[in-house]
Amino acid sequence: MTREVQSIILLLVGSAVVRISWGTTYLNYVKEVMRPWLLISGAILVLLGVLALIDALRRRPAGHAHAPGIAWLLLLPVVTIFIVAPPALGAYAAARDVTNSTPVTTSLAPLPAGDPVAMYLSDYVTRAVWDEGRTLVGRQVELTGFVTANPAGGWWLTRLQLLCCAADAFASKIEPVNLPAEAVTLPENTWVTVLGEWVPGGGTGTENSIPLLQVRTITEVLEPENPYD
Amino acid sequence: MTTDEHGPTQFAQRSWRPGPLEYLAIGLVALLLGQSWLVSIFDQPAVQTGATIFVAIIVQALPFLVLGVLLSAAIAAFVPPSVWQKALPKNQVLAVPVAGAAGFVLPGCECASVPVAGSLMARGVAPAAALAFLLSAPAINPIVLVSTFVAFPGNPQMMVARLIASLATSIIMGWLWLRFGKAEWIRIPRRDHLVGDSNWHTFRLTAAHDFLHAGGFLVIGGLTAAVINVVIPQEWLANVAANPLLAIVGLALLAVILSICSEADAFVAASLTQFSLTARLAFLVVGPMIDLKLISMQSGIFGRKFAVRFAPTTFVVAVLLSILVGWWLLT
Repeated sequence: MTREVQSIILLLVGSAVVRISWGTTYLNYVKEVMRPWLLISGAILVLLGVLALIDALRRRPAGHAHAPGIAWLLLLPVVTIFIVAPPALGAYAAARDVTNSTPVTTSLAPLPAGDPVAMYLSDYVTRAVWDEGRTLVGRQVELTGFVTANPAGGWWLTRLQLLCCAADAFASKIEPVNLPAEAVTLPENTWVTVLGEWVPGGGTGTENSIPLLQVRTITEVLEPENPYD
Repeated sequence: MTTDEHGPTQFAQRSWRPGPLEYLAIGLVALLLGQSWLVSIFDQPAVQTGATIFVAIIVQALPFLVLGVLLSAAIAAFVPPSVWQKALPKNQVLAVPVAGAAGFVLPGCECASVPVAGSLMARGVAPAAALAFLLSAPAINPIVLVSTFVAFPGNPQMMVARLIASLATSIIMGWLWLRFGKAEWIRIPRRDHLVGDSNWHTFRLTAAHDFLHAGGFLVIGGLTAAVINVVIPQEWLANVAANPLLAIVGLALLAVILSICSEADAFVAASLTQFSLTARLAFLVVGPMIDLKLISMQSGIFGRKFAVRFAPTTFVVAVLLSILVGWWLLT
């Protein structure tokens, strides 16, 4: 591999990283805290690439810097990012995750003030499954998520959460009940905001219990900037 | 390029032949023309999920890899070799635990420690000591220990168990290499040919070279992990968790497959609640030391002969020590 190609690969990888972290695309893959590190490391790679390209064009001697052929593979993520731009994980990944929530050890604080109160799906599931919905009784909640088909019919309101990056995403699912007729058969991955109340009957105390939500209104929305909880 | 070997006069007589630069240009044009075809392949939900996971692993690991190559380039360019001889005990049997404990000070993940260990060897550090450092640095650094503490709020002994089991595994692996390792099994990365006009120039050349090298192997690892992530049915996990011994080996293998960064693996382990604490300890001890992307990076930097021996041995030692420490501290 020639020095020109090496420097171009460095430039391409660096600019791909800067490109996704400049806007909000990086949120499809990693968490928000990574942004400054992505910008810095992308910029360092671009700088290394520019300097190497100048070296190569001026034929500055650099010993025998044999670049490994394996470096060609770095074009794979670059191509995937620039040309395919894979979207955030959706219904397919959510359907694969059979665990819906994990037990909490700390006691749950009351819901914040507000009517309706906007909350994360994972928070709703935890409160409904591991606290028998005590903190949800009598409150109107607003939840935003996407549609994942329920193999037994109907669909689950779903949102994925990241621990570190999309490789370890896990899903929170809620079963909406009392859906208006036009919302019964929404296609998978449709994003919706649902207003409603907790109702018992979804099972509690197990990791795959899926709680219920009595729907009052449902609106189709655009995918949020950060698609994960 | 051909001009370097044959000189410009001969070059003028030869007919034009495409070099790597031309292939790159042709390839990029072909990709742009075939974009809609490519996008249609990626329209399958399974392929799309795999692609997202692939990009996520690379993007998440990249800042740590850049940090690692900058650090290893700085060692190569600015630190005189004599420093290492002074810092580590002459006696290699003693140098191994000292190097293992030194892993505590490098706040990086495993992607960073492979090039750093390579450049330590290139600077004359005994392979056994550098390998102990390679294994311990991503597992016992303060960031990882704090994240383990945070991930297991009900079990602070998990952090202690992780520290002890990881450090012990790295020291034992260093000693095993000292006793049984053969020089011909390992290719010590040579740095002599990467000498620039100045220290800064050497630094820059080394950083670029190491990034291209380790980055290529990171891609192989990320790709494998993404494919397996989409292929293995989640229900298998539940069946494996039911048997205590199978659970330990199963989670250790899962750590190898998932290839998660050591800064994040504690949170994944915490979420695997159907498994015993000891099984999750094995996940935390094995993951930073041996996983698909590390095997790929290690065989790239130290040679395949090295990786086929080192990876399985590390796996066995790490699992045994997890069982031992888990039985001692976690039951």
